[in-house]
Amino acid sequence: MGQEKGYLALVLHAHLPFIKHPEYPDFLEEDWFYEAMVETYIPLLSVFEKLTDEGCDFRLTMSLTPPLCNMMEDPLLIERFRRYLNQRVELSGKEIERTKNTEFESVARMYYDKFRRYQDLFENRYHGHVLQGFKKFQDMGKLEIITCCATHGYLPLMVHKESVNAQIKIAAHDYRSRFGKNPRGIWLAECAYNPGDDKFLREEGIRFFFTEAHGILHGTPRPKYGVYAPVYCPETGVAAFARDMESAQQVWSAESGYPGDHRYREFYRDLGYDCDYDYIKPYLHSDGVRRNIGMKYHKITGRVPLNQKQAYYPQEAREVAAQHAGNFMFNRQQQIKYLSTILDRKPLVVSMYDAELYGHWWYEGIDFLEFLFKKIYYDQDEIKLITPMEYLQMYPENQVVQPSMSSWGDKGYHDVWLNSGNDWIYRHLIKSAERMMELANRFPDAQGLLRRALNQLARELVLMQSSDWAFLMTTGTAKEYSTKRTKDHIKRFNELYEQIIHNRIDEGYVFNLEMRDSIFQQMDYRVYSTAEKEKVLAKY
Amino acid sequence: MANNLSSTSLIKPLVQGRPTEEDIPSGYGKTESYLLPKDPAWMFLFWEITQSTFDYLKSQYGDLLNTARTIIRLHDVTGVALFNGTNSVKYYDMPVILEAKSWYIHAPQSGRAYIADIGYLTEDGRFILVTRSNATAIPPGHISDVIDDKWMIVEGDFQKLLKLSGADYIGLGASELMQVVGQRWKLTELTQSGAPQSSWSSFALHLDKVQEDEDIWLNADCEIIIYGSASKNAIVSINGQEIELKDGKFTIHRHLSAGDVVDLPIHARNAKGDKTRRVDIKAVREPGK
Repeated sequence: MGQEKGYLALVLHAHLPFIKHPEYPDFLEEDWFYEAMVETYIPLLSVFEKLTDEGCDFRLTMSLTPPLCNMMEDPLLIERFRRYLNQRVELSGKEIERTKNTEFESVARMYYDKFRRYQDLFENRYHGHVLQGFKKFQDMGKLEIITCCATHGYLPLMVHKESVNAQIKIAAHDYRSRFGKNPRGIWLAECAYNPGDDKFLREEGIRFFFTEAHGILHGTPRPKYGVYAPVYCPETGVAAFARDMESAQQVWSAESGYPGDHRYREFYRDLGYDCDYDYIKPYLHSDGVRRNIGMKYHKITGRVPLNQKQAYYPQEAREVAAQHAGNFMFNRQQQIKYLSTILDRKPLVVSMYDAELYGHWWYEGIDFLEFLFKKIYYDQDEIKLITPMEYLQMYPENQVVQPSMSSWGDKGYHDVWLNSGNDWIYRHLIKSAERMMELANRFPDAQGLLRRALNQLARELVLMQSSDWAFLMTTGTAKEYSTKRTKDHIKRFNELYEQIIHNRIDEGYVFNLEMRDSIFQQMDYRVYSTAEKEKVLAKY
Repeated sequence: MANNLSSTSLIKPLVQGRPTEEDIPSGYGKTESYLLPKDPAWMFLFWEITQSTFDYLKSQYGDLLNTARTIIRLHDVTGVALFNGTNSVKYYDMPVILEAKSWYIHAPQSGRAYIADIGYLTEDGRFILVTRSNATAIPPGHISDVIDDKWMIVEGDFQKLLKLSGADYIGLGASELMQVVGQRWKLTELTQSGAPQSSWSSFALHLDKVQEDEDIWLNADCEIIIYGSASKNAIVSINGQEIELKDGKFTIHRHLSAGDVVDLPIHARNAKGDKTRRVDIKAVREPGK
């Protein structure tokens, strides 16, 4: 322990649902992945590379969810992303010419330089495998990569513990195959915690998870340190870290949050709409409909119509990001100094955010993080960045508290994922889980085609369980797609189930599904057996 | 069917066109029910009761059922290791329409565990069980009264810490964030259809909550559920919009925002179009003060 008064743990949750449509030459919702790659994931790696080159040490905890890891390693998606990135390099190159001697010259140059750098990293440094980049920084001890529920399944709404066990086990297995060690931490999907689920975490060697503030504040007994120190779950000793609301609000408050600054980039004014149709058409989807293509030349400006937005100046925006990083750090220093007068140990502030909001939503969020890392490292010694594991090593003794059921969603519990707009899905999710268990128990050691069918059945189930679908139904956006995905997996599950129990498995059908819903190549359906669950419950 | 494994079969969509309700089963042919937690005050119960179960009950109890009421008997099973139907701490009865197939249940007390029985309550007070749910526990929703001797803290300091920890923000967690994200997809969709309508900056949001301050704040939300049934082949519309009947029944859910005044006349007409029936429903939600 050094001179610092306390610690800041920055946690980014990187996740996208598994979206891959080999049956179409291009597919709108696949863009979510390509956009996040070029706006968040690779830019983050670029910052890590830069900091490391400059000798600036940093600590960050990041979840890379299993669906995201599966997409990052999927040959088809890698190929399609390559095309997406090449197109952007090409277009931004043309744009330098087109915008010469206009107010957009500097922003056009910015895109070209960034795309070129990201392309260079992607192709030459990571050879198409960005996970290798993340793994590198984990191996250097700067980045703690944690896992998540297999498909971001919402655990408290799973009636059968076999389902909970499977979500954790599949995720841990996937993590080991990619990073060569046990995941030490997990981001429970939507921070949704249900008392007792920590048993399944412990079984996989997972040492900590995160909850919303009231997960710990409403825990039993009263948490002595509030959210400013982890607690241990009874019986399992798995540590729970809770979210600090002050730092969360500071970034995301609608009224006063940083991303609303008028000098930052405006999200909704996009080149996909602004350019001549014939010029931009090659960069649109094959249907030729104008959509966002991810190049935006205007700043937020103020509350004015889109056509009155002013030109964006990258240098100006970057300076604002630096100021905001300074302000964020100053507030953490004050917060930690004050907390250290109340606590009899060094306080820990846990700031948790969706990773995609940095870069993708808040474009300058990446610059903000870069400046924040630098300022904390070079400019002060009151606070220090830390990972949860480092904190636990420093303070191995913690209060035993049973955290409360909670989530980080609106109203703090399950409303977002269970309401009149999406409650119909649970009849099917729960029934499918029950059927999956039934077959796992009935076929303890299936071989050949039956085994393939059972493994695919398990894939359909976990994909059906992604909390993203229920979320998107609630926000009312991408509702059609999320409804269709849910129904598709239900139908595929039921069809396959019928084929299995009636002993008429159609290999062509299984093969087709294996190609499309290809998540978890190493799926083992036996994780759904009741014996597997009982084994865990008997231990703790 | 290995002869189907051509590259073209790979790129053929499995599902043609848009899926409809019929594509997924409405039930699974088994009488059963499941209870899910929603928050410290609410649970969600859904069930399926097969025709053969109804037939069986009819054969066992006959006319007794005609005068019986259908209810949910909610058992508080906190601390009960093995529930046998009668050893609950307490139970609560509430009327239910079996055809609804699902119901939001208000929990009498937070931080407890519950099992829901669905059945008939006969005139003479007998309960006839149709289906029993799983047990589910709901969260306490407040700070614990249990103090840990080993980890004592001065009360004043604890209160300070609570405030710092964001106790005032509980439940507001990611709500703003969610609206931001939701807003983004929404606008993206608008622009996808070729009609960019956003005249606001990215962060112009209208949060539906009453002004917060140090001493008092209030956050309330409202949804209304309208449900009913109509004669076979009837054409039913709500506020002029035709709705689809499923087995002669309908349910609609609507979110009510602050300041909303909704008028929901429900019309039904027979297939011939010569007879109509009407029910008027009005709801008002005053803006927060």
